[in-house]
Amino acid sequence: MSVFLIIKSLLRRKVITALLLLQLAVTLGLVVNSLLLASAAKDLVDQPTGLALEQILTVRVKPTSTAMRVEPALSEVISRQLAAVRLIPGVEAAEYTNQIPLRQGGSNSNIFETDRQDESNVDSVPYYNTGSQIFQVLGTQLVAGRELTELDKGTQNIILTEKLAKQLFLEQNPVGKSTNQGTVVGVVSDFYSQRYASDPLFGAINFVPMARAEMGYQLIIRVAPGQSEAVRQQLTDVIRNAEPEMDIGTVMRMDENRDEVFRSEIGLATLLAVLSGLMLLVAMISAYSHAHFHALQMQKEVGIKRALGASKARVLLDVLSESWLTTAIGAGFGILVCYALNISLAKVISIPAVPVWLPLLTMVLLLLCVTLATWYPARIATRISPATATKTL
Amino acid sequence: MDALLHNLKLSWHSIKRAPLPYALTLLILSLGLGTFFSNATLYYWMNRDPIPEKSATLFMARLNSVPGDCTDCFEPPRVMSYMDMQKMSGSGITSAEAAMFSSDAYAKTVENQQATPSQVELRITQRDFFKLFNVPFLHGEAWPDNKARMEVVISKNTALKFFSRTDVVGQEMLIDDKLYKVIGVLNDWAMLPRLYDVNGRRSAEPAEDIYIPLETAYDLAIQSNTQNSYFDVDWDGNMATYPQMARNNFANQLQFWVQLDSPEKVQQYQQFLKNLVADEKAAGRHQRPEGNKLDNILNVQKALRATNDQLDAFALVASLFLLVCVVNAGHLSLNRYMANQYEFSLRRALGASRWQLQSQILADVLLSSALAFAAALFFAQLGLWTINSLLPGTRALASWDWQMLGVMALFVLLISYLVTLYPALKTSFSPLNQQLKQ
Amino acid sequence: MIKINNLSKIFRTDLIETHALRQINLQVNEGEFAALTGPSGSGKSTLLNVLGTLESFDQGDYLLDGRSVKGLSDRELSALRNEKIGFIFQGFNLIKDFSLFDNIELPLRYRGFSAAERKRRVEQALETVGLAARRDYHPSQLSGGQQQRVAIARAIAGEPRILLADEPTGNLDSLMARQVMELLEKINQQGCTILMVTHDPDQARRANRHIQIVDGQLNDATLYEPLGYEPLVAGA
Repeated sequence: MSVFLIIKSLLRRKVITALLLLQLAVTLGLVVNSLLLASAAKDLVDQPTGLALEQILTVRVKPTSTAMRVEPALSEVISRQLAAVRLIPGVEAAEYTNQIPLRQGGSNSNIFETDRQDESNVDSVPYYNTGSQIFQVLGTQLVAGRELTELDKGTQNIILTEKLAKQLFLEQNPVGKSTNQGTVVGVVSDFYSQRYASDPLFGAINFVPMARAEMGYQLIIRVAPGQSEAVRQQLTDVIRNAEPEMDIGTVMRMDENRDEVFRSEIGLATLLAVLSGLMLLVAMISAYSHAHFHALQMQKEVGIKRALGASKARVLLDVLSESWLTTAIGAGFGILVCYALNISLAKVISIPAVPVWLPLLTMVLLLLCVTLATWYPARIATRISPATATKTL
Repeated sequence: MDALLHNLKLSWHSIKRAPLPYALTLLILSLGLGTFFSNATLYYWMNRDPIPEKSATLFMARLNSVPGDCTDCFEPPRVMSYMDMQKMSGSGITSAEAAMFSSDAYAKTVENQQATPSQVELRITQRDFFKLFNVPFLHGEAWPDNKARMEVVISKNTALKFFSRTDVVGQEMLIDDKLYKVIGVLNDWAMLPRLYDVNGRRSAEPAEDIYIPLETAYDLAIQSNTQNSYFDVDWDGNMATYPQMARNNFANQLQFWVQLDSPEKVQQYQQFLKNLVADEKAAGRHQRPEGNKLDNILNVQKALRATNDQLDAFALVASLFLLVCVVNAGHLSLNRYMANQYEFSLRRALGASRWQLQSQILADVLLSSALAFAAALFFAQLGLWTINSLLPGTRALASWDWQMLGVMALFVLLISYLVTLYPALKTSFSPLNQQLKQ
Repeated sequence: MIKINNLSKIFRTDLIETHALRQINLQVNEGEFAALTGPSGSGKSTLLNVLGTLESFDQGDYLLDGRSVKGLSDRELSALRNEKIGFIFQGFNLIKDFSLFDNIELPLRYRGFSAAERKRRVEQALETVGLAARRDYHPSQLSGGQQQRVAIARAIAGEPRILLADEPTGNLDSLMARQVMELLEKINQQGCTILMVTHDPDQARRANRHIQIVDGQLNDATLYEPLGYEPLVAGA
């Protein structure tokens, strides 16, 4: 049917048309932004972390008696625990650490090159007090200098992540340089430390005994590929057997830790996805209900057109093209709403800008939904014999 | 009354004639309302003033005192040091002041030493905490001063959990293997949102179990479990030297809260802090520029960038969803009234006045509102469960009191009226003969 | 022009079988103006609907302008209806949302005429029925008689071979009815075949052929006989 004709008849029913267009526009705007957020959340979750997420397990432990939270009892307990854990089949390496990587926040300190504090100071750098198997557990690569060994225990020798080293020393060789936290003996590849530190990829590692455990400590374990579940099941018991007076937290795999870090974004993206689904559902219900209300009128019109010589296919096309045109016009306004909503949301959360193809894709989706909802009543109308449909009363 | 009942009956019959479209309209409306309500509930709890009787007088004070000669660092750290607290105290301008941080430990009773200890949430603070936030006592009282003492105040639930009764003043407890005496038991209390500790996005958490004096915590090396920031600290980890180290270094973990009873006092205190910084600088300390912050309790979330952005975004989106649903429901409602126009006109032809028709419409609105309200509450509850499972930080916020229910009911009534208003006006003002001819 | 052989139409529900048309034979020649009368329930509307291909039939054959309609697909039937037949209903059946112009133009769109051709035909049809001045009006703004004239314009715009009218004056007062009848006569004189169902015996007499239908069977009463046969009219 001619576009012109449809528009003319829509203009005859101004209020209903306005309501319809408003609803379509806002639906489109919302669905597009929800999809954007969902994709942004996914990108966040999928970003490279420099860690083998499915091969690292972590568990927080804390001695329940205060005597065991200080040296020398603490180190003794830790070595017993590590020895027991390293014997579990499937475990490649295990170590203790004051905090694990891939967290939102945690312990951090400032670091600067000695005698150059004002120029080189970096605040909020996560520091790891840990032991010799840490590099094997994390799976980092050595970029410069050497890794720490048992001999470095208790010394002021530290390892920096690559990005941190560049930040502190720019193009100079970091090995041998002196900082407030110690002397740099090596640089390792970046891994994701803390989201709210100065930079998530900053980290400083040194080998010291745990010293204090008021906040507990972490055991971080590397397993062979595919072994994470097998090891996870045994881990708690093994640790408890090594020392019963322990509070043992939940064993987490690194990818689960990552999901926790981005829990808010994932949560919101999921919520909005659910809401988008609801919106499409509402659009469909509305289209169906509208068709249902106007069923008699539509049937009569269909009957008249059939009597005038329109084939069934033609009439069905007429009905659908009215839906399509209305949806398309609404979607046109919807694109404006898309951008407006995107800008408003960007004031509150971080959301990517609207790419050109997304609103168009959503419009196609909307068209599909509306077609589905109007098709059934329209089909029925064409099935009725025109004689019945055109009968007066 | 009679007329109302009659009208309600007519409404019901009109619905029964075409139940499906009516049900669909109602479904759409209550979906929108339910989503809006679930979000509004959380938003309300997160953004309300939890202590309106004195929120204007409560402030969190911070100094930009950390070392380092950074000339464009104007933002003080989120937590303060012991030294900062000492300098900010004792001005005589405040009517109450207290430093605080949170921690956790394992506790058990003296009688039950063999049992596995339970984890408890601690608040390490000073005497004025209870005065600052109007915390009610059930038994006993707070510490008489801020000196170190092995005495604790516990919450009512803690008393019940460990002692099975509430009047336990004088009883003893082992917290992390150290012996303490209970000197006070609090009545049921929670500040929601928990604005005295928004760091770490913890403003939706329940109140703590046990309160320990600040000096005691420093002596025993009890540290914050939220944020510990060390600035230029040189310490070997030896617990014996912790008390000395933590009191004399920038081992930051505190929040410092003051009560200033009038705008003049606020100004005086701000001046006090300024003078303080000047003195420090003269003594060669406080190298960073002055960046004093005195944040009112209602602005603390924004100041520490701990606002729940996700909730704000969802609030915007839920409002739009409500708009879409209302528009849809209005559209369908218009259809329904136009379909019933014949009946209206017939009744007008039989002598019903416009007013009598309007009261019929009002009865429709009443019936719709009641049904929509019930359905909306159902969807709102579903919504809250969904949000709680997806955004775990919101768990404490999902409850309704009578006041909120009342507001929601009124809101539903208003929306239902709006949705029926236009069609209603249209039907009662259309020329009679045209309608009847159809 | 129209030839029906042994045509039967049966309406079936679960319980009842109604024989609306029983083995009818009918031939209408080009240029005739035939009136079809009969009591209520006699099957006259059904016959008209079958002739207009709005209803299917069960037995027999129907040749429209020499072409059998049996076995035609929906598309072919619709095209046939569009080109050869014009309808006039008792209830006018105009589309409310369209202007007069758009209403009349609608069947021409289905034919595939160019916009210019359509415009020409619509304007000519409007001239014929005397409503050229109101082309942009909407049906709700017109009286019953005017609406029926628009319907007639719509029916003739495509220059159909036969006009089928179902009680065209049933909803009109006597003055408007007379106007409509005069219009139909004018169209018939211009060469269009008309078959009209009516209750009104006077109208039946104005036609030049009178066919009666009772219980699904025809009684082709008059052939150019003005009076004489009292139709068994049961009343409208």
